[in-house]
Amino acid sequence: MAKVLVADDSETILLLMRTRLELAGHTVETAADGQEVTERMEAGDEPPDLLLLDAMMPRKSGLDALRELRAAGVDTPALIVSAHQDPTDADAPTDLEISGYVTKPIDFERLLGTVAELTRG
Amino acid sequence: MAVIGVGRFIQQRQDFEDGIARSYQVEIHARTQIAQGDNPHAARAAVAAQAGRRTELRDQISGDTRDTALLVAAGLIAGLTGALLLFSGLIASMRRPLEELVDAAGRLAGGDRSARVKVGGLSETATLGAAFNEMAGELELEASKRDQLDRLKDEFVLTASHELRSPLTSVQGFAELLMLERDSLTDKQVETVEIILDNCRHLARLLNDLLDLARSDAGRLAITPKPTAVAALIDDAVRTMRAQTETAHQTLTQRVEPGLPLVDVEADRIRQILVNLLTNAHEYSPKGASIEVTARPRGAEVEIAVTDDGPGIPESQLDLIFQRFTRGDAGLTQRVGGTGLGLAISKSLVELHGGTIEAESSLGVGSTFRFRLPAARMPAEAGSSATATEAS
Repeated sequence: MAKVLVADDSETILLLMRTRLELAGHTVETAADGQEVTERMEAGDEPPDLLLLDAMMPRKSGLDALRELRAAGVDTPALIVSAHQDPTDADAPTDLEISGYVTKPIDFERLLGTVAELTRG
Repeated sequence: MAVIGVGRFIQQRQDFEDGIARSYQVEIHARTQIAQGDNPHAARAAVAAQAGRRTELRDQISGDTRDTALLVAAGLIAGLTGALLLFSGLIASMRRPLEELVDAAGRLAGGDRSARVKVGGLSETATLGAAFNEMAGELELEASKRDQLDRLKDEFVLTASHELRSPLTSVQGFAELLMLERDSLTDKQVETVEIILDNCRHLARLLNDLLDLARSDAGRLAITPKPTAVAALIDDAVRTMRAQTETAHQTLTQRVEPGLPLVDVEADRIRQILVNLLTNAHEYSPKGASIEVTARPRGAEVEIAVTDDGPGIPESQLDLIFQRFTRGDAGLTQRVGGTGLGLAISKSLVELHGGTIEAESSLGVGSTFRFRLPAARMPAEAGSSATATEAS
């Protein structure tokens, strides 16, 4: 099973994500914003297999964090969680190697399928 | 000039009458002398001289009359020309500002809020022009206030529907978590959680609908059309609806004519329209009703129709049904969970694809909602024209 780093500024959403992902057998680490994500990735001794980042967070957004990580050569697959109904039409950046978008309210069946697919092998 | 001419004519005529009268007086005097034998020789010469004098006077007066007549005629012509010039000048000075007003009013009506006229000319047209400008100014101010309000409304709806998504995610997510452990829940608890989930889905649909409408109003509802098979779209929508219609023991069938051309559409959006129409058919029809989706070619378009044998829609409601927040009367027995936005959005979406949508219904018989979508330009068409070229 995979190790997933989840970032969201809502503790409730983090708890929900952690519970669902752990129920599916994954290991979960959480971050409250993009700043925490970049710090943890820089210090991390055991890097995650997947990033699950909220697009909009205070201090540093998920997209900004991902931009920094990609610039630093980190190629961990990343899913962006967005409150947009259709994030692909909301100025989605094309240069960040985003593996997919997750819309709110979250369809967990689908999300777990995508996570399994991205972290297989 | 004509007045001068007439005056001169009268004066000349007077002089002529006086001259003739004097001449006759002299002649009468001379004839009296002849009769009295008083220097008859000189008197005869005087009579002859007076006859000549009168001929002279007559010649002169006829010449003068001709001149005067010419003068009067010239005067009249000059007067008429002057009047004509004055009149046409007057008309022109009224016509130009009026034409400008008509033009500006046309532009204003056509949406050019900056349309104004140059104020000038006669005092009446100037007043009219100033009044027009004042009115146009007020309209422009009103319109910009309204635009600002519209923008605020759109922004509010966009922000609100985004902000509401996070708490909705939590409520729905934790309710789903509970359902994962439904084996350890009582029936009553399962039912309760199902109600929570039902309402979450309803709220999510409401948020999506509101967002779509706000986007549509802001001109930000965009589609990326691709050639798409209609049958697959209908399959998808029918599959999405199957569980709900089966619960209500309604039959849901599809009939797609073979050889249907592809349509140029964004698949998700057409699926959304179909699910909207099917949801309406399902919710407004009683248990055991029949719902059918059909598709057939119609010239350069494909017509898709959703028909039910439900209660039907009264004519008075049929006209309003595509307006937002209009909901049909579902009767007392039906529980309808619609938002009143579905058909308004469906209409926006169909029109965004360059299509049309209409509703037809008769009370007690059922309703049909049909929409048309433009067929995609098929590679097959290019192929057939190439064949034609080869044949010739």
